[in-house]
Amino acid sequence: MDLVKKPWFLGSVVVIFAAVVLWNIPIEKRKYGLSQSSLVTDYTGLLPERVERIVVADNRDDLQRIVKQANDNGQQISVAGLQHSQGGHTYYKDGVVVDMRSFNRILELDEHQKTIRVEAGATWEAVQEALLPYGLALKVTQSQSIFTIGGSLSVNAHGRDIRFGSMAETVKEMTLLTPAGEIMNVTRDDPDEWMKYVFGGYGLFGVILDVTLELTDNDLYVIQTEKLKTSEYPSYFTQLVNQQQTAMHYARVSVAPSSFLNEMYVINYNYTDKQDHKNFLKKEQGVRLSKIALDLGRQGGALEDLFWTMQKRYITSINNQEITRNNAMRSESTFMEYTKPGRVEVLQEFFVPVHAYTEYIEDVKQVIQANDKHDDFKVHNITIRYAAKDNFTTLNYAKEDMLGLVVLMQHGVKEEEVTNATSIIQRWTDITLEHGGTYYLPYYRYQTKEQFRRSYPAW
Amino acid sequence: MNDKTRRFLPLVVTVGQVVIFPYYIIWLKQVSLTFTLFAWFFAAFSFAAAWGYRIFQSKKNKNQSFICLIYLGMGVVYLLIGNIKNLSEVLPYMVLLLQVILGLLQGYFRAWHTEQDTYHLHAVHHYLIVGFAMIAFSFVTIISPVVFITVFGLLLCLCGVWEFIRERKESI
Ligand SMILES: Cc1cc2nc3c(=O)[nH]c(=O)nc-3n(C[C@H](O)[C@H](O)[C@H](O)COP(=O)(O)OP(=O)(O)OC[C@H]3O[C@@H](n4cnc5c(N)ncnc54)[C@H](O)[C@@H]3O)c2cc1C
Repeated sequence: MDLVKKPWFLGSVVVIFAAVVLWNIPIEKRKYGLSQSSLVTDYTGLLPERVERIVVADNRDDLQRIVKQANDNGQQISVAGLQHSQGGHTYYKDGVVVDMRSFNRILELDEHQKTIRVEAGATWEAVQEALLPYGLALKVTQSQSIFTIGGSLSVNAHGRDIRFGSMAETVKEMTLLTPAGEIMNVTRDDPDEWMKYVFGGYGLFGVILDVTLELTDNDLYVIQTEKLKTSEYPSYFTQLVNQQQTAMHYARVSVAPSSFLNEMYVINYNYTDKQDHKNFLKKEQGVRLSKIALDLGRQGGALEDLFWTMQKRYITSINNQEITRNNAMRSESTFMEYTKPGRVEVLQEFFVPVHAYTEYIEDVKQVIQANDKHDDFKVHNITIRYAAKDNFTTLNYAKEDMLGLVVLMQHGVKEEEVTNATSIIQRWTDITLEHGGTYYLPYYRYQTKEQFRRSYPAW
Repeated sequence: MNDKTRRFLPLVVTVGQVVIFPYYIIWLKQVSLTFTLFAWFFAAFSFAAAWGYRIFQSKKNKNQSFICLIYLGMGVVYLLIGNIKNLSEVLPYMVLLLQVILGLLQGYFRAWHTEQDTYHLHAVHHYLIVGFAMIAFSFVTIISPVVFITVFGLLLCLCGVWEFIRERKESI
């Protein structure tokens, strides 16, 4: 008891306890989402709006009634999943928002047919958890599992898989609540071709209630990493696709001043003919360290060079490690957290045909600065992924086999800062279009209507 | 006059701490992200207060209390709280540090206060004054709790300076 009264003992308690609290302060600090009492925003916190009503979806009949009612009252309805889209896609000013997150049951899993029927508000994470005991995995998802199925299909998302085509093509069946308020079951051979419009249709063609997805095995892959020059990449990648040894792939291009857009590294997930027997889904790992490293890179200049060197070291260290398909589809995302008042970090993605890549990168050098340390508009990362030619959806971004450049960028939110960012991104989009490319629609809409029409002529 | 301030400064500080408490809680809740973190910040404050309390109690020379520095320290913490609103990413880390410092100083102050002759007299006055002050404050619309917190920080700094002058005069 006397010990408790010793100042050194109490001091140690304080220090240890403070260290525990420090370690447990959540990295994710942004506040966003649906709120009836205050303004609604999406992941970026940009474009706040007041909505008339938020409806939590929990039963089909209620949803149907709400859609019919809104039609009668001439109200606008929008659909929201996890709101990771970044351009206010999930809400209208004074509109009704259908919050799909509670519509999240796994309805049926057919181990032999390798299919799963799942409600659209479920996350990929939940689906992966359901698949794990059966040794099954998804065919196409984003690189992270933090999105809803409805939200992902509505943008026709893509990720690291290079074998199964577009996400839309992995859907066998869908239950749809149409804008007129009808509930219908849609298959691939539906004469009205609803799937063509709904997938990649941003919630404009009805509410996806559930889908039946095709699955594959939760194979074990071996990671193979390499460093390349940007000019070597198109031929490297074409060979990789033809050789059929690799299931999944992505790459990064340097945005550090001393190797700016000249150096790249690639990460391949190669087949091993083995299956996973450990049955575990990895949790987010090394988040604090990754965040510190990214924060270093965010400073620009020499520190961005250091960040690039650290990344190259890291990829060398993971060479030859084994990973399951499910785990390769659930990368960390929390370390990207950035909440600084007056500034915003956003994504953009540009697609260019594989063959046009090298010249395109040379042109991009004219648009962004190698050293953006003192600029308001900064580019922190460019990840490259493959988007196979998509003949299926109407609003398709991959008109031929494309490489997608996912760009993580940052700028201020003052009017002149947004104007400056807009003008840079519009120039970048022009160059992309000149090379036969397109841009991705889930993100903040910097582009002009004209650029939209050129990218999506079927609209 | 010297004797008066010696008697009244601790009363001002104790009453001020209780009166500012609701505003401080509102601010802490706003910056805490989750209830768990809010509760943990409080726990950190409490442990640090126990530490501060024992630091004073274990002092050999209790006449050398440095109480003016304690007032100043607490004042600076409240002033910082009023001015760190634009650092949202590092804010929880700063809050933890401030909670520990504030706990330590308040614990120390309380241990010192209990050893003053006027402590028991203050206890009754302090309850009454707090009651009346809270009724008065209920008619003031809060624009932002940090405004009050900043004002209290300034007041504590003034108390610190005053106490320092008083001690200097006493030693001469
Ligand atoms: C950090 C981060 C990483 C990302 N990584 C990738 C990636 O690797 N690959 C990729 O392709 N994309 C990526 N994205 C984009 C992401 O795939 C899309 O923003 C996706 O829409 C997010 O899903 P969500 O559940 O948050 O959808 P939300 O943002 O809630 O909704 C997106 C769109 O879908 C509509 N919608 C939602 N649910 C339904 C439904 N049930 N029926 C009909 N319409 C619906 C909404 O109205 C909206 O138009 C990333 C985004 C972020 C922020």
